[in-house]
Amino acid sequence: MDDLEEENKRMKAKTLRTYLARRILQYIFVVFLGLSLVFFIPRLLPQDPIRAIIGQFQQHGAGLDTKTVETMVVTFQELFGLSGSLVEQYLTFWRRILTLDFGPSFFQFPTPVSELLRRFLPWTLGLMLTSTVVAWLIGNIIGGIAGYFSRSRWARLMDVLATVVRPMPHYVFGLVLLILFAYLWKVFPLGGGASIGKPLSFNIVSLLDVLRHSFLPILTLVILNGAVWYHQMRLLVQNVKNEDFVQYAKMGGVRTWCLVSQYVIRNAMLPQVTGLALSIGQIYSAAIIVEIVFSYPGLGTLLFEAISRADYNLIMGIAAISILTVSTLVLIVDLLYPLLDPRIRYR
Amino acid sequence: MGLVLKLESLRAGYILRSLDRNRVIPAVNEVSLEIRDDEIYGIAGESGSGKSTLLKTMFATAIEPPLRIFGGKIYYYVQNKEIDVLTLSVQEKMRLSWQYVSYIPQGSMSVFNPIRKVRTVFLDFLKSHVKEGEEKLLAVATRHVKALGLAPEVLDAYPHQLSGGMKQRLAIALATLLNPRVILADEPTTALDVVAQKAVIQLLREIQRESKNTIVLVTHDMGVHANIATRVAIMYAGKIVEEGSTTAILKRPLHPYTKYLIDSLPRIGDKHVRESVPGNPPSFLDLPSGCAFHPRCPYVQEICKREVPQLVNVNAEHKIACWLERR
Repeated sequence: MDDLEEENKRMKAKTLRTYLARRILQYIFVVFLGLSLVFFIPRLLPQDPIRAIIGQFQQHGAGLDTKTVETMVVTFQELFGLSGSLVEQYLTFWRRILTLDFGPSFFQFPTPVSELLRRFLPWTLGLMLTSTVVAWLIGNIIGGIAGYFSRSRWARLMDVLATVVRPMPHYVFGLVLLILFAYLWKVFPLGGGASIGKPLSFNIVSLLDVLRHSFLPILTLVILNGAVWYHQMRLLVQNVKNEDFVQYAKMGGVRTWCLVSQYVIRNAMLPQVTGLALSIGQIYSAAIIVEIVFSYPGLGTLLFEAISRADYNLIMGIAAISILTVSTLVLIVDLLYPLLDPRIRYR
Repeated sequence: MGLVLKLESLRAGYILRSLDRNRVIPAVNEVSLEIRDDEIYGIAGESGSGKSTLLKTMFATAIEPPLRIFGGKIYYYVQNKEIDVLTLSVQEKMRLSWQYVSYIPQGSMSVFNPIRKVRTVFLDFLKSHVKEGEEKLLAVATRHVKALGLAPEVLDAYPHQLSGGMKQRLAIALATLLNPRVILADEPTTALDVVAQKAVIQLLREIQRESKNTIVLVTHDMGVHANIATRVAIMYAGKIVEEGSTTAILKRPLHPYTKYLIDSLPRIGDKHVRESVPGNPPSFLDLPSGCAFHPRCPYVQEICKREVPQLVNVNAEHKIACWLERR
């Protein structure tokens, strides 16, 4: 018997190890591929960014002779990592990424890109992570309960609300909230990440200030994304609650809250965990719009500026950091999955 | 011998909603039966004869939409007191289920929550009926599983790690946890191989011998009935057409339908080609007039097409609903 148990434990550890190893290898591969794309795609464009910049200088009236132009080209090639052959550039690119040095930004010259990222990333991560997790939790829990008690009146009311809210674009809903709660009834600020002129520090007043500023953008994201999770969960629960094990537990008199949480919602939740990992990839696209509407000092606003001013280094820096954060978040969600589903833990 | 369960001209079934009208599916049609203490009562019939629905109506908490009761009475006999089940509150029904009457479902492959250990599922069921600490309840579950001859280690497994036969035996263990007076078993041997079938049948018989309670066993498999049932009822189109002791039914079936069923059983050494019932079972949406079996019956008479025969006693134990016996 002891031998058997020992063997059993070994097998469990092995399946878990295989799962983890496979996921981590996949993670490294995705990050490598994504970052390489960030390197190659701009180089396939028919434009020369350095000539474009120098052209801009000349347009502004700077009289440049050929020699100055030549030295400028060399300097810019160094700064943008465009000197040498393609292979050399690729190696430089990786060296820069590993040291997190993306060179200087163009539109905020000479601030380094890494400095800008350090300043703007925490805002986006804070906003997006909070709203994604809260929307997922709230949408799934309410959707689960409403799906189980689908005949009750409040569940039908929730259906109507979610259906009305869901098709609204983020910028419309955000604007409506802004007009209602920042313009007509001035309970929340019109925009920004914190009050201007007050240095950020780790105390209650500062924290409350940040929370007050992020409330409306988070509300926009939570309501709109939560409505999507709500609908998906409702459909899933509709199926799970007709499963034999739910019907049987119900007949056996298992308490309702245990039935709803442990039998229905936890089983319906499994595909939603995968859905969460997938939706993390869309964080940045939603971020850009919402951050611009609420003039929130995050990566979305920064990316918008960078694109509209053709700031090469900054675009690459933001793209690289997005790839890293998104794939890391997806990895974390995937690593949590075996905790929720024993069929993956032990086969 | 006392009664444990009684149905009185029970009518139950489903309502099929479509855009223009609601149609009633009378899966159980005017069924009266008395189930006694310390017996194994078998219910046989083709698929779609209403036997599973009949079994569900006997289990108080299973009566909920889409299943509806259209008429009749259901009685339990708890501590010699007659209880009209349909008048009970939800709480009372919940209390009686599992303690007085319990249910082994059809297709035990999926009766266990796939993300919960079997042990936790047992505890979920126990907790809702017994007010005790988790430790004690777990001890109860372990002792019960051991008593049924299963290894207590299976409680620590997840459902996907167990075989179909093991799951079925665990479902029986789960249904008998609180030592109920009546165990309703819906096709407990279907979808199992013959070896697992034998183990399940033996387990059921042992439980019944041990605690002298009652098992109501629904299966289409006449072989299983011949093996363990004390009395058998034959169902056709939502009605009981014959009821009697197993020996009487097998040796001297009276209803033409029962005769066909028995004749279709293979016997060792008999190389005769088995004859099946001609035609197909009727649809509940369009039942034949009179006796529902008359279109398939070789002895059909005029009266069979007009009037429904009532279930009447042939002798003290044997009942039949057929005009042939009234000559």
